[in-house]
Amino acid sequence: MYIQVDNTNTFIATGGKPFDANLTTVVLLHGSGTDHRTWALQARWFAFHGFSVFAPDFPAHSLSEGEALTSIEAMSAWLIRALDAADVGEVHLIGHSQGFLVALEAAVLLGDRVKSVTALATASAIPVNPALVEMAQNKPSAAAEMMLQWGFGNQHQYGVSAVPGMQPIGIGARIMASNPLAIDLAACNAYIGGSQKAEQLASVNCPSCVILSEQDRMTPKREGLKLAQTLNTKAHVVKGMGHMLPMEAPKESLNIMKSFILSIEK
Amino acid sequence: MSKSSFLGADTIALHSGYQPESDHGSRAVPIYQTTSYVFDSVDEASALFNVEQGGHIYSRITNPTVAVLEQRLAALEGGAAAICTASGMSALFVTFFSLCSAGDHIVSAAQIYGSTATLLKHSLKRFNIESTFVDINDQQAVADAIQENTKLVFCESIGNPGLDVSNLPAIAKTAHAQGIPLVVDATFATPYLNNPIDHGADVVVHSVTKWIGGHGAAVGGVVIDGGNFDWLKSGRFPTLTQPYEPFHGMNFWEEFGPAALAMRIRCESMRDIGAAMTPHNAFLLLQGLETLNLRMQQHVSNAKAMVSWLQEHDAVAWVNHPDIDAEAHTKALFPKGAGSMLTFGVKGGREAGAAFINALQLSSNLANVGDSRTLVLHPGSTTHSRLSEADLLSAGISADLIRVSVGIETLKDIQADFNLGLRAAAKVVTNQTESQV
Repeated sequence: MYIQVDNTNTFIATGGKPFDANLTTVVLLHGSGTDHRTWALQARWFAFHGFSVFAPDFPAHSLSEGEALTSIEAMSAWLIRALDAADVGEVHLIGHSQGFLVALEAAVLLGDRVKSVTALATASAIPVNPALVEMAQNKPSAAAEMMLQWGFGNQHQYGVSAVPGMQPIGIGARIMASNPLAIDLAACNAYIGGSQKAEQLASVNCPSCVILSEQDRMTPKREGLKLAQTLNTKAHVVKGMGHMLPMEAPKESLNIMKSFILSIEK
Repeated sequence: MSKSSFLGADTIALHSGYQPESDHGSRAVPIYQTTSYVFDSVDEASALFNVEQGGHIYSRITNPTVAVLEQRLAALEGGAAAICTASGMSALFVTFFSLCSAGDHIVSAAQIYGSTATLLKHSLKRFNIESTFVDINDQQAVADAIQENTKLVFCESIGNPGLDVSNLPAIAKTAHAQGIPLVVDATFATPYLNNPIDHGADVVVHSVTKWIGGHGAAVGGVVIDGGNFDWLKSGRFPTLTQPYEPFHGMNFWEEFGPAALAMRIRCESMRDIGAAMTPHNAFLLLQGLETLNLRMQQHVSNAKAMVSWLQEHDAVAWVNHPDIDAEAHTKALFPKGAGSMLTFGVKGGREAGAAFINALQLSSNLANVGDSRTLVLHPGSTTHSRLSEADLLSAGISADLIRVSVGIETLKDIQADFNLGLRAAAKVVTNQTESQV
């Protein structure tokens, strides 16, 4: 669906079903240089199992218009305006990589509206090699290639796909080509508030779930384990996968996500 | 950027799409000779049917062995996704079927495979899908042929049997300027010689029966979704950008973006038409694909040598191969050589041509190309026999044209065989001359 946020046409993927603000909403937040299509399969499951799905393309990403936001704080503030524009009430926030940094910031601001937070392939801080940021500014296609080469685990480098006939690296390349990777990476690099926000969420016992990838070279597993410790929750590690976890292991990641969220909804 | 893999093409051909499976560690891709797949639970079945998770339901739609071939071919061509089909013709049909509806229009190269011409000119016309045929390298003609209801521009990267090389970047530019995708049948080129997506194509189709298989033992096709075309911005593709009611209102573009066309073909064409590749054929084709690059080197090398040899032969009237007096775009698109197909005419016309073919012992007279063995055919009386004389000429087919798919046999043996045929052809000429005297 398209909604207006800050008078700008904004695309929200709803998992193939019309959005219903009366249902509990699962918010799916994409990572750097990607968009709602990261969540194609998971979004459908939630939408067809009693939830409303709210998977936005952040400004200037994929089908959303506007200027790209330059900080995680600005992205989280924008997210809250987007949720309000769609009359969204209680939410489960799920974020991949950069998307979880946004979720962390937004969760603290949203307070009781947040029923849980779920982190996929991420950490409380995502420092980015300055050379990569510079490459993303000056040679975006080369930076995207580097991201894809580092982002996918071994199996996917060999063209294995969870969805028959798909080429995840090929799809990832197209998605990254249509999104402002350099701005996203710079925003991640500059963000330093993650640990503090995670501690705040833990202090109010916000239910949380951390899903990590064994072969993650972008946000190494050890950093994700620290995040889980700060959030005072258990980390699930998916074997054989890389940083692009939602695309690489849609079934495994969904199974953990849905078990966690259904346990809260019971 | 069309990267689908960071591996080299030779490695992709051997490894992409498969890692030794966990049950038995099979190094070769196993043949999953099964119609269907046991679901873990009702919930899992429901999730698979509603595309909430990837996996296999029924082999008409997907199959694990076929999926390896699909993923490998998508990687080789630099695409986002691929769908294998029962044949090259069914790959073309599901592509046209997914992009066009009644009342729509296709702009096609005039020089194309006879069965494709028949599909466009007659079969699709029955469903009120019209086609206009143009000289595909005349960009003014292509632009002029595009109508409000045009859904795609179609060409073969190397035309069959005229062997004209389509100027893909120029055609793509013309098509894209009007919001229309370029669909390319790249069968004669193979992914080894040219990757059309790198040159502006949006969809690539192959008859994998040919060089990709190479053994002549299995028929199959593939559609590769390039993933670069903006179906929404074009505004011409409701089949991809509007809710599809038979699938819970799925919007393929919104949900699957770069793989929108592939998903539409999977969800609709494979379900409704069912032109599925069999797992055994996928296995056979994978065996061929593993050595495609090596074979193509020998195909091209032999073809080049045969072109020179035929050009020097007294019994030969003319020889055609795209590398002869190659145009600039041919050189740019095919730096390794423009394939292993050649055509030629023997002196003495149709009768001498028939004598040539009948005298061959090593080369096979049959309706196929791209076999590892050398194949010959007289298109005017076989593959293109349903075309009128005017259409034959438009397709670049003269009465004396002999089509040769140069194989990878030892070169001197192919030449010795052709010498048998050319001697027989020369005898016809001698007889013709004597009877005239």
